[in-house]
Amino acid sequence: MKNIVLVSASPKINEKSVSKELLVMAGSHIISDLFSKVFIDVRKSILTKNLAKDFETLAKADVLIFSFPLYYFCMPGILTRFLADYHNYFNSRENAKKHVKVYAMVNCGFPEPEINLEAVRVIKSFSQHINAEFRFGILIGGGSMMIEAKEAPFMKKPILKLKSAFSSIAADIQHEDSTTMDSIYIGVDFPLYRRIYHYMGGRGWITLARKNGLKKKDLYKKPYCLKTHPRITL
Amino acid sequence: MRALLISDQEYQTKTYQGLNDLIREFLNQKGFEVELMESSADNLTFCMGCFGCWIKKPGECVINDGIAQINRSVMNSDVVIYLNPIIFGHFSPNIKNIIDRGLPNMLPFFITRPDGSTMHPPRYDSYPAQIIIGYGDEITDEDKQLFMDITKRHRRNIEVLIYPNPTETIIKALNRMELGRVGGLL
Ligand SMILES: Cc1cc2nc3c(=O)[nH]c(=O)nc-3n(C[C@H](O)[C@H](O)[C@H](O)COP(=O)(O)O)c2cc1C
Repeated sequence: MKNIVLVSASPKINEKSVSKELLVMAGSHIISDLFSKVFIDVRKSILTKNLAKDFETLAKADVLIFSFPLYYFCMPGILTRFLADYHNYFNSRENAKKHVKVYAMVNCGFPEPEINLEAVRVIKSFSQHINAEFRFGILIGGGSMMIEAKEAPFMKKPILKLKSAFSSIAADIQHEDSTTMDSIYIGVDFPLYRRIYHYMGGRGWITLARKNGLKKKDLYKKPYCLKTHPRITL
Repeated sequence: MRALLISDQEYQTKTYQGLNDLIREFLNQKGFEVELMESSADNLTFCMGCFGCWIKKPGECVINDGIAQINRSVMNSDVVIYLNPIIFGHFSPNIKNIIDRGLPNMLPFFITRPDGSTMHPPRYDSYPAQIIIGYGDEITDEDKQLFMDITKRHRRNIEVLIYPNPTETIIKALNRMELGRVGGLL
């Protein structure tokens, strides 16, 4: 039996994570008695100090699937920590597994999926550092829409594409001799989408801030503006 | 003129020492007053993606650790230089925590940039010049290229350099850069 380890790495603590939900969806596409599935949540692993056990699980994996949010056009600090520490652990171990396949799913808040490319390339570089084979990435724009608006008519196409991408992973892990695969880009681009997105996004922040007792103008505070500009009175 | 140097306590190798000496000498010669901030896993935790810095305490992180001092210092410098160990073609964990937790310095709303890409608007009228110097031993060309793409492809007002490189190359590149505050081109 082969081991599949699915790693989600949203830094969120109690809130629902898009990356995690996407990973669970991806996992549900892998239906085979030949594979065992284990989920690791990086935030939980660090909070509960379960790293040693989880690193051991990773080291025994035949397939690694990472899902995480884009943070500043690359990987969140929490995942960077997890992978750097795992790399050290990996180097200190003997008998590394051979032929490990790695996949990356990166989702972001902005609508354009292509901005996730560098984050996917980081997972590729990490794979090379642990002598694993990076297969391909799924780059998802407007991540939260894939969960929150998945029933909406205008989301039909992207959701279908998402499911087909998950099926591609499920099929690819079964192949022994793997040909190169291109990464898959999934965005939510329909005419007007960007404008609606910007408008709704803006309104959304104000509504959330009001719930915390703030006024609209409070959102624009500049707490670190220390330099005072001298006023000249004539 | 104030320069802020941000470094990572976890990777203070010989290469780092060489880079640190070079940059300090350059800044001193230019007449900068230099402040050094060292990040470590003990004084900085991870962003928790709560957006509290936008909707609870606008402009400030809600986690009470060393980040407030760093963000304040960044916003009150003329130039900020990150001395960053390259890990998998990416930032190091500690430096990435500082970058993630710089989110309070932007506004939550969305704008479309001239190239059609989405971004958040700036919170402040001007920002320090930002230079990221990636360092390391035996970094592959692929990882160097990735590091440059990560820093530069999607952000304006940011410069990137790789070390080691001959001192003259670094100094020449630094001399070509604007080392003062710029408008909010994020
Ligand atoms: C500190 C921080 C930085 C972010 N940077 C980006 C970014 O550069 N581009 C983007 O499109 N979204 C960015 N996001 C938004 C997240 O990628 C997006 O909300 C994602 O769906 C969150 O996934 P999660 O629920 O699994 O954490 C950022 C969010 C945070 C908190």
